[in-house]
Amino acid sequence: MNTSADLVTRVCQGDADAFRLIFERYSRPVISFIYDMVNDRALAEELTQETFVRAFRAIHTMRAETKLSTWLFGIARNVARESLRARARANNHVDLADKSVMDLSDDKPVPVEGLLSKELNDLIRRSLAALDEDKRLVFTLKVLHQCSYEEIAAITGFSLAKLKTDLHRARAEMRKKISPYAGVGYEV
Amino acid sequence: MKCEVCTELLEEYLDGELAPQDREQVDAHLIACIECSEDFATLTAEQEIFARYDREIEVPPFLWTRVAAHTAPAPKRRWLPNLFTKPASAIAVLLLAIAIGAIYFFSRPKPSDPKLTTTRPSNIQAPNPSSQSVQSVVKKPRKARLRVKPRTVIDQSDVLSSDLAYLDADEQDTAKHIEQSKILLRSIKNVQISDSDDEIDVTYDKALSRRLLNENVVLRRDAEMKAKFPTKTLLADLEPFLIDIANLPDRARPQDVREIKERVQKTEIVAALLDYQDRGANNR
Repeated sequence: MNTSADLVTRVCQGDADAFRLIFERYSRPVISFIYDMVNDRALAEELTQETFVRAFRAIHTMRAETKLSTWLFGIARNVARESLRARARANNHVDLADKSVMDLSDDKPVPVEGLLSKELNDLIRRSLAALDEDKRLVFTLKVLHQCSYEEIAAITGFSLAKLKTDLHRARAEMRKKISPYAGVGYEV
Repeated sequence: MKCEVCTELLEEYLDGELAPQDREQVDAHLIACIECSEDFATLTAEQEIFARYDREIEVPPFLWTRVAAHTAPAPKRRWLPNLFTKPASAIAVLLLAIAIGAIYFFSRPKPSDPKLTTTRPSNIQAPNPSSQSVQSVVKKPRKARLRVKPRTVIDQSDVLSSDLAYLDADEQDTAKHIEQSKILLRSIKNVQISDSDDEIDVTYDKALSRRLLNENVVLRRDAEMKAKFPTKTLLADLEPFLIDIANLPDRARPQDVREIKERVQKTEIVAALLDYQDRGANNR
């Protein structure tokens, strides 16, 4: 089996195919995670590229006990954070204060079921963007990527107490946004 | 356990992060308390909604090409271009070339054809394979080394059937789900387990299985509600495999992985998933 540890060893030995396998295995979760963080498709592609290039250059520094997925998500998180901060500096204000992002009326009429899926996806995407960065990070990793608390702590460097608090608050904010949809076509 | 305590622990309980003792207490409380069990059902329903979240983002095939362009190993340098990386070496080669040129110029036989001598400027030497090669080394600007590009096979593994465009949203979700489950189970089916393995790293397969399991529950219920019984049956058959893979530890014992692998082979679940894809949306 091409275990992650085997692949890392092979990359360190100069096996280019092994890095391609790592890319094939992890590019989808990485691009999804970055997209969740930056809410921009083209930027997510660019940052995914940057993540894997950085990973390739630093892979020989990866410690044996580190999980490859955790390590890659850690790099992706740094790449996304740098990009968000650069964008915030460029705009001289935080993008997330954008009215289009924040305009998430909880009083919207419940949509017809045919539109539910698309609208709900859009609502989740905008609601994620409206969370502050730390909350968005832990919510994405836990709820959308099913990482354990231990993995999230390793990726983010947050204490267990902070990540639990952020996750709880993020869930509460997301619940408020999606509440008009809960119960439509779902068993609640 | 009091309801307040249970409420505080519910999210960690849902996340599977509670210590066994706390988990048992919450289990017991949820059986007895209607209000807390309703809260838990709400949390579970939210989780299902997020499990359905589709970013509609794929890894574009060109992305690997771009990454590979930055990560391809540098080709081995030849000694000759190396000479030009240091000024002293370049000067030495230049002087050597001039010396060879001068020796050749003064020692060559006089040309018998006077026309040639008048038409060719004196500082240009006659074409000669040996001197030409030296001159080319000196005068020609160093060409950019060609990078050896790695194989750029376009990864089409993410591309599902072209029929997908004609499926409705639910069927597209199911088709994607079936495709990803098939890839997961194939990976388990093809796993090479050696007797010398102490443990097998299944981190990725496990994480994928957790996500697919969430999806599977939702899609199976949808299929049942919409009376799509073949789909419902297939997803019900698939679910135990996803549960078992999701419950493996990150570094699983070879015998645990082998058991799942053998069940995948015996039950021919992969063939059933393939058959479902082959039949297409219209026959479901």
